[in-house]
Amino acid sequence: MMTYIVFILSVIFVISFVGFSSKPSPIYGGLVLIVSGGVGCGIIMNFGGSFLGLMVFLIYLGGMLVVFGYTTAMATEQYPEVWVSNTTVMGVFLLGLLMEVMLVLYVLKSEEVGVVFKFSGVGDWAIYDTGDSEVFSEEIMGVAALYSYGAWVVIVTGWSLLVGVLVILEVTRGD
Amino acid sequence: MNPLIFTTILMTVLLGTMIVMMSSHWLMIWIGFEMNLLAIIPILMKKYNPRTMEASTKYFLTQATASMLLMMAIIINLMHSGQWTITKVFNPTASIIMTSALAMKLGLTPFHFWVPEVTQGISLTSGLILLTWQKLAPMSILYQISPSINLNILLTMAVLSILVGGWGGLNQTQLRKIMAYSSIAHMGWMTAVLVYNPTLTMLNMLIYIMMTLTMFMLFIHSSSTTTLSLSHTWNKTPLITTLILITLLSMGGLPPLSGFMPKWMIIQELTKNSSIILPTLMAIMALLNLYFYMRLTYSTSLTMFPSTNNMKMKWQFETKRITLLPPLIVMSSLLLPLTPMLSILD
Repeated sequence: MMTYIVFILSVIFVISFVGFSSKPSPIYGGLVLIVSGGVGCGIIMNFGGSFLGLMVFLIYLGGMLVVFGYTTAMATEQYPEVWVSNTTVMGVFLLGLLMEVMLVLYVLKSEEVGVVFKFSGVGDWAIYDTGDSEVFSEEIMGVAALYSYGAWVVIVTGWSLLVGVLVILEVTRGD
Repeated sequence: MNPLIFTTILMTVLLGTMIVMMSSHWLMIWIGFEMNLLAIIPILMKKYNPRTMEASTKYFLTQATASMLLMMAIIINLMHSGQWTITKVFNPTASIIMTSALAMKLGLTPFHFWVPEVTQGISLTSGLILLTWQKLAPMSILYQISPSINLNILLTMAVLSILVGGWGGLNQTQLRKIMAYSSIAHMGWMTAVLVYNPTLTMLNMLIYIMMTLTMFMLFIHSSSTTTLSLSHTWNKTPLITTLILITLLSMGGLPPLSGFMPKWMIIQELTKNSSIILPTLMAIMALLNLYFYMRLTYSTSLTMFPSTNNMKMKWQFETKRITLLPPLIVMSSLLLPLTPMLSILD
């Protein structure tokens, strides 16, 4: 099973995305986001990206999703919508589930079965030895490069976040 | 809106487009598009009523979908070529998806349905920014990937856009919807020649932006958003009436006005590439556009449109001072004799 663990985790990832894009109440969307965050972390870790997986849990789930959960709890209604309470939500969820099942069956029964195994241990974040220093992982070096060579990206993303806050405040302020 | 925040948000719209036009990394281009989209939402919602909120939501949903398609095309391109530079899209699937995404951003058929509804729901100034500045970024990306665009898809979308832009505008009396359909048709003209000679796309974009800017400023000056209200400008400023006539005929592509230059060059370039039926069809369908421009000029400048007697004196607060209106009017009507200067573009 370990050879196709990435495939299984990806399928669970897509199913949990279907779970919150069928639009139940945001509380349940957050619940499914936790599952998808955890599974996404598992996918990254299978490629050897332990630092980024930790980032997903700490910052995404433990920071952003917690704040999201608190704000949603402040704005929630008396009977939040679950997947089974509304026909539309359940219909969309089942439709997404059906499409995912059909995709999985197509992959498993066709010539493309190799794709299940191709993505495990692809080696994008290989640990390599440069010779002059010790063995280090490319993925942490990528994060470090963001702050040296990628300074422009940091500026742009930082400005986007600031403007995002300003835009949201402006839109929700009203008259 | 607080002036400081308004300035910041407007500058971010500019910055987003600049990032799209100047980046060589696909991810930065996507970030530029998202920054542009995020920052223009409060500009579209400047007046706070349900119509602007609905228009902003429609704009956001369509543009976000287009950005997602663009991201998918970028990742497919990465999978097949292993690099992020924007020179050439290496995979036909990625190229088709990217063309569709950029067509959604521009408002080409069959993704044109949001343009009239969004343009109608927002104020005239926001509509101006939407129809001119927001077209620059996707067009620059189309220009950069033009060698690897699938010709059939692009030409189909272009011809259908000219048809829809002409045909859909026929039944409109609201000026913003007329400008929206005019934008769809002009985008069709621009993308039709993209694969053959991208310089003409840029020429058409330049002249289209000048003419649309002029038209919107004339509308803002007379504070009119319907044909009926525009037909009362003879009472307020008769000079504006004449200028509306000239600019509208220029938009329709009539010689000797400057709107004829891009159409002439495009038809010439297409016939140089041995396609004759296509430019004939395009020129015939541009007549539909000309018809509703002429209906506007007829009701505005050439006749006194029927209205009740108490409406003949138009409400007037103080005269809006529009900067740059005279140079814009001159440029959008008198540039045709400068056509031989295009030879410097080679």
